[in-house]
Amino acid sequence: MSTAAATAMTTQPLLQAQGLHKNFGGVKAVSDISFDVPAGSIFAVIGPNGAGKSTLLNLISGVYQANAGSLSFKGTDLSRMPAHRRVRLGIARTFQKIRLFKQLSVLENVIAGFHVHHSIPAWQYVVHGAVFAEDQRRCREQAAKLLDFVGMSARLHVQAGSLSYGEQRMLELARALATKPQLLLIDEPAAGLNAAEVDTLLDRIRSLRNGGTTVVLVEHNMDLVMNVADRIMVMDYGRHLFEGVPAEVQKNPAVIAAYLGGELS
Amino acid sequence: MSDPALAQHLPGQRAALRSRWLAYALAIAVIIVLPLIFNDTYWRTNLTVCAINVLLAIGLDFILGYAGQLNLGHSAFYGLGAYVSTLLIVKLGIPFWVAFIAGVAFAGIAGTFLSLFAVRLRGHYLAIASLGFAVIVHQILLNWISLTQGPLGIYGIAPPPAIVIGGVVIADFRNLAAFFYLVAGFAFLSYMLLSQLVRSPIGETLTAIREDEVSAASLGINGAAWKVFAFGVGSAVAGAAGCFYASFVGTLVPDAFFVSEAFTILAMVIVGGMGTLIGPVFGAILLTVLPEVLRGFGDLRLVVYGAALTFVVLFMPGGLAQAARVVAEKLGLRRSA
Amino acid sequence: MTTTIVLQQAINGVVLGSLYVLVALGLTLIYGVLVQINFAHADFVTLGAFAAYFFMHLVGGGYILSIAVAFVVGAALGWLINAAIFTPLRHKGNELLPLIATIGVSVMMQNLMLAWFGPIPYAFETQYSSEVIRFAGIFVSWQSVIIIIVSILTIALLYAFMKFTFLGKALRAVAQDRETAGLMGINPNYLIMLTFVIASALAGMGGAMLAPVLVLTPFAGTSVIVKAFAIVIIGGFGNVEGTILAGLIVGLIESYTTQFLDPGLIDIVVFALLLVMLAIKPTGLISERREENV
Repeated sequence: MSTAAATAMTTQPLLQAQGLHKNFGGVKAVSDISFDVPAGSIFAVIGPNGAGKSTLLNLISGVYQANAGSLSFKGTDLSRMPAHRRVRLGIARTFQKIRLFKQLSVLENVIAGFHVHHSIPAWQYVVHGAVFAEDQRRCREQAAKLLDFVGMSARLHVQAGSLSYGEQRMLELARALATKPQLLLIDEPAAGLNAAEVDTLLDRIRSLRNGGTTVVLVEHNMDLVMNVADRIMVMDYGRHLFEGVPAEVQKNPAVIAAYLGGELS
Repeated sequence: MSDPALAQHLPGQRAALRSRWLAYALAIAVIIVLPLIFNDTYWRTNLTVCAINVLLAIGLDFILGYAGQLNLGHSAFYGLGAYVSTLLIVKLGIPFWVAFIAGVAFAGIAGTFLSLFAVRLRGHYLAIASLGFAVIVHQILLNWISLTQGPLGIYGIAPPPAIVIGGVVIADFRNLAAFFYLVAGFAFLSYMLLSQLVRSPIGETLTAIREDEVSAASLGINGAAWKVFAFGVGSAVAGAAGCFYASFVGTLVPDAFFVSEAFTILAMVIVGGMGTLIGPVFGAILLTVLPEVLRGFGDLRLVVYGAALTFVVLFMPGGLAQAARVVAEKLGLRRSA
Repeated sequence: MTTTIVLQQAINGVVLGSLYVLVALGLTLIYGVLVQINFAHADFVTLGAFAAYFFMHLVGGGYILSIAVAFVVGAALGWLINAAIFTPLRHKGNELLPLIATIGVSVMMQNLMLAWFGPIPYAFETQYSSEVIRFAGIFVSWQSVIIIIVSILTIALLYAFMKFTFLGKALRAVAQDRETAGLMGINPNYLIMLTFVIASALAGMGGAMLAPVLVLTPFAGTSVIVKAFAIVIIGGFGNVEGTILAGLIVGLIESYTTQFLDPGLIDIVVFALLLVMLAIKPTGLISERREENV
């Protein structure tokens, strides 16, 4: 890629939010939030409990519709676009509360993620011809590769419901990646993981970023965020508190106060 | 194959394919042989009713077992298929197979109408909406006397016209065995169609919607569209069953499609094992044949339906399919998952 | 003349409506606490009616007492169905299985009653059904007066119970959040059992009071249940005030449809209304939309 093209790519933010508002009854979960996420970066959203981080993620992925404000992805306006269509655009996500298909196997869960990428003519869904067989083979192969990426190759045929918590998280990641996203939204992935698992996770996220995937990460664990994010936005009570690179965020007094004097090492 | 873990799966797949074709061949053989063994009117009638019930059960399983939509109003599509096709034949003189297609299409469209409720409602709400829909359809059939002749019913419905090629009668559907072959053949083809769909990414999509719709949406699955699809297909199959029913029994009364019929079909799906497609086939056969066998008990045979449904849910929710799996594992025919 | 008819049907509507409310309240209470539907609820109504009938005809008891008998029968049935079906299935977490199991129970009950009592309608008459009060050209039987009094008393008692007593508040707590209620020292299992007992007792009682008005066959419950569902949905699942309001509305709709249109159309009108409600506002008349928490 030429320098000009690279510069052009990095100047148009992949995801842009402007004045987002989301209310639930009387509660202002998200209040006047604006930010830009440059392509190929890791953008973290942090804040104390109830800050509205997950709500923000739900707004981006389309589970909720904003009450006001605008959201655009690759220049396309996302308002009114239902969640499943955003996936076709290139947005994928994981959930804070794990939402795997517990009755299906690990492999089957990931294969489900290829839904938008099948290229089978309609009649071959009934008469399983050559194109069908090839598509199925390709799906299984790619699913296996993704599971290898997250380190779950040994567990392909295990029922998802019987995995450990850490494994379920990695499976969710692999499944989201199956949709071949340009933007990956990760919701509190480190919750419930031990130190080794967190390290692996960080490594995978960095690897994704280096491969060109943009990541928006909502997280509680400060160490993780400081080590991996390119830019951080801090939220508090649904409002924008501060935004900057990790070093700046660590030193900002308002941020420190919001975390009630918690240590930011 | 690059990955050994995947490769281990493939011979298993080939074996499964072989056993499936074997099972299909066996089923065809059984279908052909049955009316030859049971060559009295009583049992041949039962066989045909079995086939009709199989159609109803697999259609409902597609909606309930695969797409996970609690449809308690399947009797409505059954009735609509029966009445629409019959009225076209009897009042407008439309040829049987054209009326058949119309009946199937009408039932399918009614299904998509109901699916619009499924799109917006969850679980119990949909259950009640579908129940309400079935009640309304039944009441309309009962009360729109100028159209349907209400409780008096429609009489003298002819069987499908005989198939004659070059002056030679290949099939005369006044013959019970021939009629059975027609319905059973159609049921078999419908089963194959649904089975192929279900073992394709479409089946995965429906299962995803059943398990967790929000999760499915995060994978790009348009839950609403697929629910409409599931309802449309399942209800069309029920409509076909209705068309066959009308021309088989020769008489059509609204009470054949009372809501209790929806519960009977539900029982067949649950007892057979919902979400397995083959389970409901056996559930339908069992719950058609069993009450006949228990005829001596009079009204208590319907108690058997209720009891079967309750006890299956309490003790073996996977139905016959689950029971078969357990037995196969015990006999060592199958590794446990 | 027409005003008289309108008023007459209004009274009929209120009588009918209050009975529907009794039946529907049971459903809505169970749903509020357990998020489950007991499909056999209607058959508790039928069995309550038969219990009252046989109490009067075999034992020779009075009508008012037979209502109490039906109440008790209903309570017993409620306890039984909770113990046999809802409790064992609770830990499986599937929201549809219990419903399907109760459909099975309903089919069993209906056909057992059919076998025991036969299909021919029983004529349920009490000394009150023939005695009539007249005022301003309107006829009201003593039966109806009793029904209205008993229903209103019961509904009022229930409402007060839910709002003001500890047990009632505990019920609402369990409905909102079972785990937290458990942590607060409330035993959810006991409360759930209590809910079933109360709800089904109401159903039985409702059956005894409906019996003179209904065609008393083993399938009497079915005609009521579908309307009860409609009421619960129109009023909002788990919403007591909404259920009361909706019950009265449905009762009025039924009496006016009978008078001015055709009795055969009642079910269609009520259900069309149900479907419209579900299409527009599934959460019921008196409630707000809630977005799912992801």
